[in-house]
Amino acid sequence: MGIDRPPTGHDVELAALAAAGDRRAYGELVRRHGSAVRGLLRRMGADSATADDIAQDAFLTGFEQVAEYRGEGAFAGWIKRIAARLYLRKVKREARIVFTDEAQDGDDPAALNEPRTASRIDLDEALKALSKGERLSVSLCYGGDWSHAEVAEALNIPIGTVKSHVKRGLDKLRARLAQPPEGARREAHG
Amino acid sequence: MAEPDFEAQLTRLYGEAPSFPDADLFASQISTALDRGWALRRLMIGAAGVAVGVIAAVQLVTTRFSAELQALSRDGARDVSGEVDMLLARVNTMVTTPASVEALWLAAGLAVLAIGFAVTRAMEEF
Repeated sequence: MGIDRPPTGHDVELAALAAAGDRRAYGELVRRHGSAVRGLLRRMGADSATADDIAQDAFLTGFEQVAEYRGEGAFAGWIKRIAARLYLRKVKREARIVFTDEAQDGDDPAALNEPRTASRIDLDEALKALSKGERLSVSLCYGGDWSHAEVAEALNIPIGTVKSHVKRGLDKLRARLAQPPEGARREAHG
Repeated sequence: MAEPDFEAQLTRLYGEAPSFPDADLFASQISTALDRGWALRRLMIGAAGVAVGVIAAVQLVTTRFSAELQALSRDGARDVSGEVDMLLARVNTMVTTPASVEALWLAAGLAVLAIGFAVTRAMEEF
């Protein structure tokens, strides 16, 4: 009896196999990119359960549409785009986020002034300092590789508002990520 | 830090996927959902194929196909010449024997299967 090895190869090859109905090839793509999709959705502001549900829906939708993926870009980018659109649809349906052009505090305003305790740069922690609109805009532009115009169209807001969100979000992230870890700060002062 | 440098750093940070301890479980849940969806789809395609086949068979029977075939056979037997006449006579004999009704239902059953198979294949292809 032969060993049942998972399919190998480039993403484009696996996607072509999946388009022909090979579910094992698609399963390999899920294994490769599942965490990236789940991570992006969390960084866009989804809670863990919602992020996982939408990531699952995105991969199931992706299997239905995988024949449309021709390998022009990375498969990760293609599937992330599907996931992001599903999340935006859910957000808009539930009308949970009001996209104003005014500066807003993040989910955790204190996060801006909290010292970093970890030595590594923690993007996920830093994102907590952003408002929901800023977080969505920055994550779509830098995590999903969307243009400002695409974000504006998807969120149904003026492109100027998107640029404001991105600008303020970047300022907050820069300030947060530039802080040295608490241990390093103590050493510098000590 | 210069803006382009920071943006490049941010893009790189976004590109680093976080690691999830349940990554394998997540992948297997999707595989299970795909398998379940595929099985359901095959079942529905098969059921649709059989339904179409049954409808086609019913149409075939209700259009008096049998009677018309027999009539054509008799007419043909009168009109065509020697050898063809003999052949048609054999066909006519077959059709008019008591077994003809069974043969007709057998043909209808085979037609149902063939149409069901054809529809299933066609739907899987497209």
